[in-house]
Amino acid sequence: MFTRKSFGLMLTYLLLLSMFVLGCQSNQSQPAPSQDQAQGAQGTAAEPAAKTVSELKIGLPSDAGPINIYTGNIDYLTELVFDKLFSPSPYVDKPEPWLAESAKQLDDVTWVVKIRDGVKWHDGTPFTAEDVKFTYEYYRDGPANRHTHHVSEVPHIEKIELDDPSTVRFTCAYACPSLERITFADLPILPKHIWEKVENPRKFTDLPVGTGPYKLVEYKADQYYKFEANKDYFKGTPLVDTLVMPVIKDPTAIFNALRSGEIDISARPLPPELEASFTNAPNMKVAETSPLSIIELKLNYDKAPFNTPEFRNAMSLAVDRQTILDTVMLGKGRAGLKGYPHPDSPWTNPNLSTPYDAEKAKSVMDGLKFVDANNDGVREMPDGKPLAFSLKVPSTEPSWIRAAEMLKDQYAKVGVKVTVEVLDSGTMATVGQTRDFDLVISNIGAHGVADPDQFVMSHRSSYLWNKTIPYPEMDALQKQWMAETSIDKRKEIGFAMQELFNKQPTSVALFYPEEKFAYRSDRYDQWVESKGYGVINKYSLLPDGAKKAKAEQ
Amino acid sequence: MDGSWFSSTFGKKLIQYVLVLAVALSINFALPRLAPGDPLEFFFGESTINELTPEQRQRALHELGLDRSVWEQYADFMTGVFHFDLGSSIKYGKPVTEVLADRLPWTVLLVAPSLIISAVIGIVIGAYAAWNRGKRRDLFFLSAMLTVESIPGFWIGMLLIAIFSVNLGWLPSFGAVPLAFTGGTAEYVGEIITHMILPVITITLSTVGGNFLLTRSSMLETLGQDYVYMAESKGASKRSLIFNHALRNALLPVYTHITMSLGILVSGAVVVESVFSYPGIGRLLYESVIARDYPMMQGVFLIITLGVIAANLLADVTYPLFDPRSRSRAWSREVSSSKQIGEETA
Repeated sequence: MFTRKSFGLMLTYLLLLSMFVLGCQSNQSQPAPSQDQAQGAQGTAAEPAAKTVSELKIGLPSDAGPINIYTGNIDYLTELVFDKLFSPSPYVDKPEPWLAESAKQLDDVTWVVKIRDGVKWHDGTPFTAEDVKFTYEYYRDGPANRHTHHVSEVPHIEKIELDDPSTVRFTCAYACPSLERITFADLPILPKHIWEKVENPRKFTDLPVGTGPYKLVEYKADQYYKFEANKDYFKGTPLVDTLVMPVIKDPTAIFNALRSGEIDISARPLPPELEASFTNAPNMKVAETSPLSIIELKLNYDKAPFNTPEFRNAMSLAVDRQTILDTVMLGKGRAGLKGYPHPDSPWTNPNLSTPYDAEKAKSVMDGLKFVDANNDGVREMPDGKPLAFSLKVPSTEPSWIRAAEMLKDQYAKVGVKVTVEVLDSGTMATVGQTRDFDLVISNIGAHGVADPDQFVMSHRSSYLWNKTIPYPEMDALQKQWMAETSIDKRKEIGFAMQELFNKQPTSVALFYPEEKFAYRSDRYDQWVESKGYGVINKYSLLPDGAKKAKAEQ
Repeated sequence: MDGSWFSSTFGKKLIQYVLVLAVALSINFALPRLAPGDPLEFFFGESTINELTPEQRQRALHELGLDRSVWEQYADFMTGVFHFDLGSSIKYGKPVTEVLADRLPWTVLLVAPSLIISAVIGIVIGAYAAWNRGKRRDLFFLSAMLTVESIPGFWIGMLLIAIFSVNLGWLPSFGAVPLAFTGGTAEYVGEIITHMILPVITITLSTVGGNFLLTRSSMLETLGQDYVYMAESKGASKRSLIFNHALRNALLPVYTHITMSLGILVSGAVVVESVFSYPGIGRLLYESVIARDYPMMQGVFLIITLGVIAANLLADVTYPLFDPRSRSRAWSREVSSSKQIGEETA
């Protein structure tokens, strides 16, 4: 049946097919840009002149429900609809008053906040101090959400009272010098007249009512969001009238939609391998931001031998973070050589250092009598148990899986056997709760690694440590931290806690990713970074006044 | 239609299918719960969920209705199925039936034309290739079909997007409807069709190979039969020989294959719907699994189970119409009595 001619035909056919496929690939690359274009494309994309646009399409990599805080949360979307007393976040040196006009500390445990006059909710109801009191009490006493511990534990706001219709008095259970800079800058304010009637916030699917620059007017789950500008916004009318945000979860699809002009910016950061093709494309720019996130290797401090501080130190010393970054992220981002929390946070000790030193790791383990007695290449603990651990990693993150494979090799060099286990994201989600792991790779965002209160909270909650397990040195520092009334001195105690943590880490920072956002500069070119939120945030969409205010921060 | 036939043939089948459905529903209920994880992560995110105290966690589970015993939940689910009440989705906060009703039309809109086009092309080209067995055109179609059959669907989708959306800019690359559309109904329908083209081509290409190969091999077998030589020697035309004599017999296994694949009409095409961000059942299933949205997963599984069972039932019931050999005596008796009744009525 298959003659020589037939084979020739088949070969020709296959050749044509491969040429066709290659042709499609090479067509995607664009001509090299001029020097000016290249330079322009690498900036952080701030433009002085404010230009108004009728509509922008922003591709979202995930869906966060109808933005009501209790049914999923993406900070930068929440920020478009809701405002906080102070802005932009706890991740800057000094947040500016936003819904608050001013905040004043009366004594170690008391703050009074004067709220802004003339602000209205999206439904026209005036914003009042009652809303602030309601929100803080709701977060503290109502169903738990990500803001709860900022009111109930670190810090613990005991009383929230109204001094007069525009002044709220906060009284803490212990010293709270960071209330203005952290708590007020983190908690979005909810409208009392809506939320006091909500029976079960986890099943509340109404469109949100906020005070923010954008109103959510349409939401189709897993399909798209449509926002309209709040023309009466107290910081000026937003520059874009309508924001349409399709949800495109597939990473390839979202960048194809950007190339084809179906969206104007992708909220999914650009993977390193696509960077050049977007930087060189006409009418495209790439904005670089610091995402304040860490790709971390977590060690289960509940289990032996990870409950031995020296062993955790050896596990940190054995990781060659630079090689991992160079291989996995093609050198983009920074290796985790400055430990945990994020080095770009104003609250992080600038002198932290977590170097790679395999020899030292070996000698630390020798000192612990973790030696390879049976010469199988794997050390054993004094009770004869080998140092063999599983490393869990989510199947949705190919670069982390590659990092896990590299960690396996790096640990093998110091006599620790690691087996990589790839799990689906639903299963990974429970790993932290059940604590059923030895090692796990995960990502921790700005809220976890740039907020000093959160660092303390993470040592109480179980993320980095559990307050029920004794940790005398850290406990002493925590006690000191909670008693301290000066914010600067608290910062210093925080630095000491970070030093101690990185000497015997329960989370090893592998690398600090960088985030680059590709966008169509011909459609809109006024994206500015808000630390920890990327470029898609309310400041990018507000007129010059608000932008300048932020620049002055 | 007399009662004895119903109880002897159709009735037995029906009981069989009800049993299959009951077992399938129980498995659908159990499997998601056996997998590790729960929906709390979806609401809180990883760092927050670890900060919940046991009381807060319990309260959140109560708010989501997940603190009841598994048996209570099972009883609720089974009784709910018979009342068309599948509970409320945890992720979407809406009744499961409402979300399904929202998504199912999109999947049917995508998969139905794909299956029809794929079946027609596969059968016609398959029959043609078999008739021309060993010739260049057979080899061409065989290698082309083997190639598309072996290419994963998502890759075909990505390739089509790269060509028709990115390079040529002719067709949209994602979604089922235009975003923030303000035009009239006719334009809206036009837009829906435009959004369908690439996903339909993708599903067609990824299923056409199977239909082609099955038809071709079945035709090759049939073409070697004596009755075909007889028809040929009687002077039947080439067209009549292929389509009237050979293909009618050769189609039997193809027919079964196509009827069984009707099950995917409702289960959707998970991968293709993901690549094209299409709001169908397949993508809904994926989203629900990731969020561990048990009621939603149960709802989607129910639809898929019903779809597959209905497709099997259809194949079972209609197969004797095409193949007299498979007709049972009772079936033949029933058909002849129906004919009789029909004739009498006429």
